Amino acid sequence: MFHSKLALRSASTAGAAAVLALTLSACGGNVANSGGSDDASDFPSGPVTLTIGQDPGGSTDLIGRAVAENASDALGAPMPVVNKPGANGALATKEVANSTPDGQTLVLLNASLIAITPLAVSEDEAVKLDDLEVISGISQDDYVLVANAESEYKTVEDIVVADKPFNFATTGVGTASQLAQALLFKQAGVDGTDVPFDGGSPAMTAILGNQVDFATIQLGEARPQIEAGALRPIVTFSEERNQYLPDVPTALEAGYDVPVSQYRAIAAPKGTPEPALEKLREAVSAAFESEEYKQFNEENLFTPHEVDGEQVVEEWTANAAKYKELVEKYDIDLGGEQ
Amino acid sequence: MEFFEPVLNGFGVVLEPTNLLYCLLGVVIGMLIGVLPGLGPAATIAILLPLTYGIEPVTAIIMLSGIFYGAQYGGTITSVLLRLPGEASSVVTVFDGYALTKQGRAGTALGVAAIGSFIGGTVAIVGLTFLAPLVAGFALDFGPPEYTALALLGILLVATVSNGGRLKSLIAAAVGLLLATVGRDGFTGESRFTFGSLELADGLDFVPIAMGIFGLGEILYNLEERHNKVSAPAKVANVWPSRKDLKQASGAIGRGSVLGFFLGILPGGGATLSSLAAYAMEKKRAKDPSRFGRGAIEGVAGPETANNAAATSSFIPLLTLGIPANATMAIIFGALLIQGVTPGPQLVQNDPELFWGVVNSMYIGNILLLIMSIPLVGVFVRILRVRPAILAPITVLITLIGVYTINNSIFDIWLVIFFGVFGYLMKKFGFEPGPLVLAFVLGALLEESLRRSLLLFGGDATQFAGRPITAVLLFVFIVVILLPVLQKARKNRAAKATTIPTKHKESV
Repeated sequence: MFHSKLALRSASTAGAAAVLALTLSACGGNVANSGGSDDASDFPSGPVTLTIGQDPGGSTDLIGRAVAENASDALGAPMPVVNKPGANGALATKEVANSTPDGQTLVLLNASLIAITPLAVSEDEAVKLDDLEVISGISQDDYVLVANAESEYKTVEDIVVADKPFNFATTGVGTASQLAQALLFKQAGVDGTDVPFDGGSPAMTAILGNQVDFATIQLGEARPQIEAGALRPIVTFSEERNQYLPDVPTALEAGYDVPVSQYRAIAAPKGTPEPALEKLREAVSAAFESEEYKQFNEENLFTPHEVDGEQVVEEWTANAAKYKELVEKYDIDLGGEQ
Repeated sequence: MEFFEPVLNGFGVVLEPTNLLYCLLGVVIGMLIGVLPGLGPAATIAILLPLTYGIEPVTAIIMLSGIFYGAQYGGTITSVLLRLPGEASSVVTVFDGYALTKQGRAGTALGVAAIGSFIGGTVAIVGLTFLAPLVAGFALDFGPPEYTALALLGILLVATVSNGGRLKSLIAAAVGLLLATVGRDGFTGESRFTFGSLELADGLDFVPIAMGIFGLGEILYNLEERHNKVSAPAKVANVWPSRKDLKQASGAIGRGSVLGFFLGILPGGGATLSSLAAYAMEKKRAKDPSRFGRGAIEGVAGPETANNAAATSSFIPLLTLGIPANATMAIIFGALLIQGVTPGPQLVQNDPELFWGVVNSMYIGNILLLIMSIPLVGVFVRILRVRPAILAPITVLITLIGVYTINNSIFDIWLVIFFGVFGYLMKKFGFEPGPLVLAFVLGALLEESLRRSLLLFGGDATQFAGRPITAVLLFVFIVVILLPVLQKARKNRAAKATTIPTKHKESV
C-alpha cells in the first residue's frame, strides 16, 4: 500500500528521477521478499518456533516436543518449543495466526479448540481454521468412560437399566470429555449431572475417591489406574476400538452416536509461501517416520493420525458441524444449566 | 519394610550430588535472606521461582524448601543482635534475645536458638515422615465438600491470625477472593472481568501476583523505609551455650517442637503463629514470668524451636491435600504446578521420589544450617553491611526477567509491576499481603469446590453436615468465629479480677 501511494505521487510530480528510482528500488525489494523463487533456499532462515497453547507437561506439550525434536534434523534448523498457555490454546493460536507468514512460527492445534470449545464460549473467543495453513495432522488421543472398580456398573446397559440419577466428572467445560459424556447420557436417557473438574488429574481423583459415579478421561491418563485395577473402563468414544484397549467396546458399538476423540495438528499462519510449507511437511513426515517418535506414540498411547492438511481441515470442519448438530438435536448446553 | 523402602529411596535421591548442591544453595540463600531484614522467604521464593523452571522438579523443590526453613534460622540472628527481626516469625525472639545481647550473652542466645531450631526441625521431619502418608491415605475421602470446608477454614484462619489488624486482614482476603474470580467460569464458560482480553481468559496467574506483591512490593517498601541504619552488630563471642543454659532451655525446646509441629499443619498456621504461641506458652508456664523480656533463655528457645517445626510441618497439607497452609507454601504450590506436578492425594503414590526426596533433604538441610549457625555465624553477621541501594535494583531486574520466562508473556511483566505497586501501597497503609495472596489461591478452590458440591448434592446444602470430615471442619470454622467473642467476654470478667490476660491466648 505504501509503495503504490508513493508511486502515484511520484508519477504526478512527473519526472523527478531520484524519486522514481527510489520507488522502483523499493518495489523491486518488495517483489523479491514476497516472491516464491528465493524462499525455498531461504527457508528456514533461523530457528522455527513451535508455539504450544498448553502448559508444559500435558499431553499436547509432550506431543509438540516429540514432533519438534524429531523434525528439526530434516528441517536443518533448531525447533524450539515455546509454551504460551491461555484460554485453552486460543491465545497461542491467535498469536501465531497474526504473526509474519514466513514459516518461522508454527502452532500446535487441538481439534477441541476448533470443534468443541466454540459450543461453550462466546463467538469472539472462538478460533477458526481459516486463519491458518494446516501442515499436517499428528495423532489421535482417545477418551474412555470409567467407573470406580468397586462400582456395580460394567456396561452402558447397566447404567441405563439402573434408571436413577448419576453424577459424572468432566475434565472441564467445553472439553471433549464433557461433550462425549453429555451426548452419551442424553442419548441413553440417563439423568446425569455434569460436574466439571479442572483437568484430568482432579477428575480422576474424584472417581477414585467415589465422589462421582463416572468420569471421562484421556486414555493415557487413565491407563495406570485401569491396569492397577482401581478404575474400570466402560466404553471408549473413538470411532473404532482403541488399539491399546482392544477389549473395551466403543460407544458406537454400544449403540450411541458419540464419535469424540482429541486430534492434534501442526499449522502455520495463513499466507505462508508454498515452498516453506512444503519443507515443513517434509520435516514433519520425517519426524513421523523416526523410530524414536513411533516409540513415543506407543508409550503415551497416542494413535497416529498423520493425514495431510487438507484432510485435517475437512475432518475437523465435519466434526465441528456434527457436534453442533448433535448438541442441538439432543438439546445439550455445554455452558451448564446453572 | 514396605513403608521404609520409598523412604530409603528418597535418601538416594537427596544424596545425588546435584540435589545436595541445590539443598546447600537453598539453605545458604535462606540463611542470607533470613539475615537481611525485609526480604522474606515468600518474596525470595517468588523471585527465584522462574529459575527453577529448567531443573528437575525434586531438585527445585529441595532448593525452595531449603530457602524456607533456612530463613527461620537466619531470621534469628538480626533479632538477637540488632533487635531487627529478619523474619516475622522471629519477632518474639527480639524480646529476650536482644536482652541477652545487652547482657553480653548474644552467643548463648544464638547457640540455643540454633540448637532449638535443629531439634524442632528434626522432630517435625520425623513427624512429617509418618503423618504425611497417613493423611494422604484418606485424602481420597476428601471430595468437593471437604475441600470447600477446608478452604473456608483456611481463609478465615489466615485473615484472623495474621499480624495486621483483623479488619484489614479481612479486607485483604476479600480482595484476594475477588481477584480469584477473574477469568473464564469453569462451570459455564462465561467470561468474568476479562474485559474481552484473551490474556485474562484463564484468570490471573498466581506467580505474577506473588512476585509483585511479595517481591516487588517488599523491595519498594524497604527502600522507602530505609530501616537499615545499621548499628554495628555486637561481637559474638562464645556460641556454645553452657550446660546450665541448655538444661534451662531443654523443656522449652521440647514443648516448642510439638506445638510448632501441630500449629504448622493447620491452614493459616505456620512459623509466625507458632512462635507467638510458643512464647506465650513459655511465659505462662514459667515460675517467674517477670524474667521474660529481660533475657530469659526459654523466651528464645521456645519460639525459635516452634517456628522451625512449623515451617517443616506446613508441608503436610500441601503435599498430601494440595492445600497450602500459608503464603510461602502457596508459592511452593505454584512452583510444583510450573514443574507439571500437581500437589495432592496422588503425589505420595505417583511421585514417591519427589515426595521422599524433598522430605529427606530437610534432614540434610537442617544439619547444614546447624553448621552455618554455630561456627559460621560471624560470616552471616557481616552480610548486614550490604547496602539496599545495591541489592534492590538487582532484585527487581531478576524479578522482571524471571516472570517473563515462565509464560513468555509481556503481559505478566505488567502484572508484576501493577501488583508490585499495589503490594507497596498495601504495606504502606498497614495491610498484610499474606491474606490477599492466600485467599487468592484458596478462593478458586473454595468457589469451585462449593459449586461442585452443590452439583453433587443436587442443590441441597444441608448435606454438607452429613459428611463427617466436612461437619468437623465446619464446626471448627464456627468455633474460630465465636472464640474471640467468647474470649472478649471472659476478658471483661477477668479484668475485674485484676489478672493480666496474655495477648495470644487464643493461639495456645
